[in-house]
Amino acid sequence: MRAETNRLNARAIAAWSAACLVIVLATTNPVYKTLVLAAALAALVAGAGLKRIRRLLIAAMLVAAFAVALNLVSAHLGATVLFTLPAQLPAIGGPYTLEALAYGASGGVTVAAALLAAAPFSLLLASYEVMDALPAALSRTGTALAAALNLVPAVGATFVQVSEAQRMRGWRPRGPRSWAEVAVPVVLTSVESSIQLAESMEARGFGSGPRTHMSPVRMSSQDWVLALASASAVVLFAISIAAGWAGPWAAYPLLTAPPIDPRPLIACLLLFTPALQWRLRS
Amino acid sequence: MAIAQLDHFTYSYPGATYAALRDVSVRIGLGLTVVAGPSGGGKSTLLRVFNGLVPHFHGGRVSGAATVAGLDVLATPTRLLARNTGFVFQDPELQTVYATVDREVAFGLENAAVPQREIAARVGEALHEVGIEHLAGRAVRTLSGGERQRVALASALAVRPRLVVLDEPTSQLDPGGAELLLAAARRAAVDGRAVIVSEHRLSRLIPEAGALLMVEGGRISEADPAAWRPSPVMAAPRLRAPEEEAWSVAGATVGFDGVPVLENVYLKGRAAEVVALAGPNGGGKTTLLRLIAGLAAPMSGTVTRPPGRIAYLPQNPAALLHRQSVREEVQFTIDRAGGGEGERPERILGVLGLADLADRYPRDLSSGERQRAAIAAVLPGTPKLVLLDEPTRGMDLASRSALIAVVADLRNRGAAVVIATHDEDLQAALADRVVDVARGAVTQRAPHAVPA
Repeated sequence: MRAETNRLNARAIAAWSAACLVIVLATTNPVYKTLVLAAALAALVAGAGLKRIRRLLIAAMLVAAFAVALNLVSAHLGATVLFTLPAQLPAIGGPYTLEALAYGASGGVTVAAALLAAAPFSLLLASYEVMDALPAALSRTGTALAAALNLVPAVGATFVQVSEAQRMRGWRPRGPRSWAEVAVPVVLTSVESSIQLAESMEARGFGSGPRTHMSPVRMSSQDWVLALASASAVVLFAISIAAGWAGPWAAYPLLTAPPIDPRPLIACLLLFTPALQWRLRS
Repeated sequence: MAIAQLDHFTYSYPGATYAALRDVSVRIGLGLTVVAGPSGGGKSTLLRVFNGLVPHFHGGRVSGAATVAGLDVLATPTRLLARNTGFVFQDPELQTVYATVDREVAFGLENAAVPQREIAARVGEALHEVGIEHLAGRAVRTLSGGERQRVALASALAVRPRLVVLDEPTSQLDPGGAELLLAAARRAAVDGRAVIVSEHRLSRLIPEAGALLMVEGGRISEADPAAWRPSPVMAAPRLRAPEEEAWSVAGATVGFDGVPVLENVYLKGRAAEVVALAGPNGGGKTTLLRLIAGLAAPMSGTVTRPPGRIAYLPQNPAALLHRQSVREEVQFTIDRAGGGEGERPERILGVLGLADLADRYPRDLSSGERQRAAIAAVLPGTPKLVLLDEPTRGMDLASRSALIAVVADLRNRGAAVVIATHDEDLQAALADRVVDVARGAVTQRAPHAVPA
């Protein structure tokens, strides 16, 4: 459970996540992308602590590294050649350029920032907080989704239990087909678990009409600050793009330094609001 | 005054060639009603009529009439009957919607559109009634099975139903957790409600039961609770004494992610000997069993096992069933595991009372029948070491007797047996020694002796 001091409203966090995603996907400028990544990382560190996000960080770094490597290997474009592999080598032969490396790094930052910006929903919020934040029209879908998510650990446990039990019955992994003897019972058990959960929800009156909520969503002044900061960031960045202050950056054909303007820069800095709020509260 | 009533009610599941309930007529009044009978007899189906899951959720063919709190079950959807019938299912993990106790208890109230200003008070009232106010605010995943079932009962009571139904609610609980849950159910029954509990172990409920319904073969007969007498589980005859050492655990520490669950354990067992592992849920019985099986590596210390096949029954054995028939499940183990030369599935199916179900699809069986099918699938042949994790979960008396016969046969053929079980009858019938596993340590005692 996260600390009570770090509680922010799910709708405010959703606004901030959306702002991060919009900006990081709307710009090609790696400086602004990196700022969004830094804002998301700072928010997670302040809200959850470095220890809790360690695995997420490793996953984000691996995905980013893959994006960099993929672009470096597949895009033999650009003027600044770092090294060349013989053209006869299938798939990997050809010149490796600084431009391809930089463009790949920019893509990697995009993916990592998007991952970290969406992470508060699982790391900082309880499932019921997300459900409560949904509009009334999505309430039933959200509840069903949250209930289904509760089954995920059970599926993992079933997989371990079935694979161990089958192994003790003489099963050994011998190629993809042999895994059916583990996968089939795991899938069947998961389906049965889902049906039992649905049965339980039906028996408790789920779907009988409009629902009420034990804790209706209320926005505090802090939440409003975050929501307004997020909205301002998006509006300012959109104006910056439209006005040419946050113009496009291209790595090819020759790598150039990305242009920096104070107005889109301020928009990105507004995304550090939750990190600041959590730091101040704790 | 009847809260619920069935008149000539007959029901068949979709595609079934036989009726799960046959011409059932019964009246349920205030107080405690106990439902008993063999596995697969129709208990769970009967209970699901009272909140309309049968037939609305499961489909199938129905004739006759059923009413609950004056509502026609056949004409009222389950989600509306839920305001009059609270239901607690067998598996505590598969009825949890929310991650925290308060929100979980509030789920039914939210569905019933109870005004927000009333919900917190109603949740507190339900937690108090079940005696778990101290769990308010806790994450559900941190609770024991017994605590989870009491949360489920509080959730059912929060909507203030006139009828509360509990379907084998203690089958996965240790004795302490089961007693606390049943005490809460008994309290609910004396508080002006009708409470129906389906159970295999009746001695904890019968003294306060107002009615006893026996369900077998889809038919119901009413019995006098005062005339009920417990049927003793018979010990199987021992044909040979324990022999040479077969397995040992020496100074072993075992756990998860580097965190020890059991530390510095010394334990050993002999061929033709049955060792029972007892102790509360979460005490480490399964971990110790997995250590002996070789499924969990010791962080320190050593484990030795006899050469030859090891048979291992996991806690939810029904999960491993995947063949087209019960017979094929048994044959799968005979073919793969070895040690069963000349063995035919019919032998163990006969001992476990499954001969008539040999050609049935295992996942179509009742929970108790499935449990027996899984035991048959794991135990054919002549394993040298037999490890069973809570093998009597959800089993009726006949099935438990059959299991005892199978394990005694393996023991008499020289197998070393280790059983993790809460079932004190099973311990008394089979165990040469009982090992209490709790708080990270093991202590040995003779069967029947009360743990310190």
